[in-house]
Amino acid sequence: MFNYVLRRLLLLPVVILGVTFLLFFLTQRLSPEMRASLYIKDPRQMGALEEVIQKYGLRDSVFKQYGHWLANALKGDLGYSQSANMPVGQAIKAYLPATVQLAVVTIILVVFFGVWFGCVSAVKKDKWQDVVARLFSVGGFSLPIFVLGLLLLMLFYGRLGWFSPGGYSVYTDMIVHGGDFHSYTGFLLVDSLLNLNFRVFGDVLSHLVLPAVTLCIGSFALMVRVMRSSMLEELGKDYVRTARAKGLAPWQITYKHAGKNAVIPVITLASIQFIRLLGGTVIVETIFEYPGIGRFGVIAAQQLDIAGIMGFSLMVAVLFVLGNLLSDVLYTAVDPRIRLD
Amino acid sequence: MNSSSALLDVQNLRVSFSTEEGTVQVLKGLSYSLPKGKVLAVVGESGSGKTVHALSLLRLLPPTADIEEGHVLFEGKDLVSLPERQLRKLRGARISMIFQDPMSSLNPVLTVGEQLKETILAHRKISKLRAKAAAIRLLKKVGISDAARRYDQYPFQFSGGMCQRVMIAMALALKPQVLIADEPTTALDVTIQAQILRLIKNLQQQTGMSAVFITHNLALVADVADEVLVLYGGLCMEKASVQAIFKNPLHPYTQGLLNSLVSINKKEDLLPAIAGNPPVPGKECPGCPFAPRCQRAEKRCFQTRPPLFGKREHQAACWLLEEKA
Repeated sequence: MFNYVLRRLLLLPVVILGVTFLLFFLTQRLSPEMRASLYIKDPRQMGALEEVIQKYGLRDSVFKQYGHWLANALKGDLGYSQSANMPVGQAIKAYLPATVQLAVVTIILVVFFGVWFGCVSAVKKDKWQDVVARLFSVGGFSLPIFVLGLLLLMLFYGRLGWFSPGGYSVYTDMIVHGGDFHSYTGFLLVDSLLNLNFRVFGDVLSHLVLPAVTLCIGSFALMVRVMRSSMLEELGKDYVRTARAKGLAPWQITYKHAGKNAVIPVITLASIQFIRLLGGTVIVETIFEYPGIGRFGVIAAQQLDIAGIMGFSLMVAVLFVLGNLLSDVLYTAVDPRIRLD
Repeated sequence: MNSSSALLDVQNLRVSFSTEEGTVQVLKGLSYSLPKGKVLAVVGESGSGKTVHALSLLRLLPPTADIEEGHVLFEGKDLVSLPERQLRKLRGARISMIFQDPMSSLNPVLTVGEQLKETILAHRKISKLRAKAAAIRLLKKVGISDAARRYDQYPFQFSGGMCQRVMIAMALALKPQVLIADEPTTALDVTIQAQILRLIKNLQQQTGMSAVFITHNLALVADVADEVLVLYGGLCMEKASVQAIFKNPLHPYTQGLLNSLVSINKKEDLLPAIAGNPPVPGKECPGCPFAPRCQRAEKRCFQTRPPLFGKREHQAACWLLEEKA
């Protein structure tokens, strides 16, 4: 087990080198002048373009520039993000917790409801419960996130006014950045509770619900399908017949016997979805103006903020490998055949 | 077979499956009774309805199957119509089953001990600790050494023969009156087969329970069974004591089966076999299911289904026996 984790961690630098080099190579398709123009805010200073190119070595070979970036990155310096107006490292630290918070809430909803609906759907195959779950899942699957997000925004914010759109309220910003608010984890949802500030908690939560629900519905649909087919397959297996022949109660057969086997593929799916949520909630964060890392990535890309783009993709690559590792570790928790081999 | 001392009485059991081509009858009116303390072997080829019969006794059939008609009487209750909740109390406690493939019959993600323990706890109100102790005793009883350590292991850490021992321990955990064994040795190595068979036979004799032993292997029948029922195309062809079947088989099908047993003393170039193929369910002739392969078949064999002829102790469904009756 320990060896296994170690081997996976050894893979981490390889993946990161590959991803970052590829991206760096792509950014070099832009001419040095274009890359330099980012540093010049004032059109009257255009004459300084050549100076910037010289200063940052933008005409050097790809490998030399990449080596330069890598050396700095290893020292912990990811460069300065022009789009966020702060160092890239600091920007990630500022924006990532909000996204993690959103992803965790979403994935909990997805797994809980997905496994539940999928189970019911399989056990009550072709009955009305199954039909409802399947309709729901097909509907959620075919509805694009940006349509769904806008619909929810229109309904719950525009019409009903239940939830708030846009960034946190001024009050929250003031409190959070004021002196009295102690940041324990960086996750506002947790920190506000630890600070016993329920007004901030409520504000953060009300900003979380709509994006989480929007993200949830698409992933939920897939989860229901996987859980349903996995459960149906398990329910047809010999050991289920044995369990019935032993005189076990139906709930024991469904949840203890078939269920424990059926969730194995769900773990893979859930971890893939979780990673996707961490790195790619771009659309939802944009629609809801949610202050997460996805929005940071989009703005960096729009403004050709190369340091920002590189930092963002580095973070996604690291999360990707760690997420896969997490899913493997979770696997071993449910499946003794992997744990003990 | 005296039905008054019968523990399990199967009467005119008809089971059909609904398929895309319509309903197919797999069991077409099977009747027998299982006396107390005896072993009944149900012998038949693949597709004869052996396993369907075994599963229908405890209503473990897949949802596409339907028991159309018939009764399975056990201690005055009809298992065919008994409510599910009451039937569940009998399953595994009074009537147990072991299956063909022991590896896939155990849950891969639960320990062997857990699966054994939950069987006991499903029927007895005892503490988990005592159930565990009982489970370990059972593992020892079926010949698993180092039982306390094996208790915490998973099925994939066991060989096929060991898995079947676990299945046997599970089936015998609550001292059932009837054991239904559906080809318990088919999936095992030949050397292991004999061990498992001996184990079942010993435990059956020790506890005095009755057993229905389903097999396609006639050679096994001679070792374990007291009575034999020959099944073909979902119908009983012949039933008699094991001596009578081997010495004086009445039905041409039984005779054919016995002829195809190879003697170890004789050297044969071509293995004897019954010509033709067993009937495809749903596509049989209205008469005797064996008629198309029977060398002595007459016209009426194809048209009318023969009833069971002969005395209670030895019956066979063949028109050839009509005159004698």
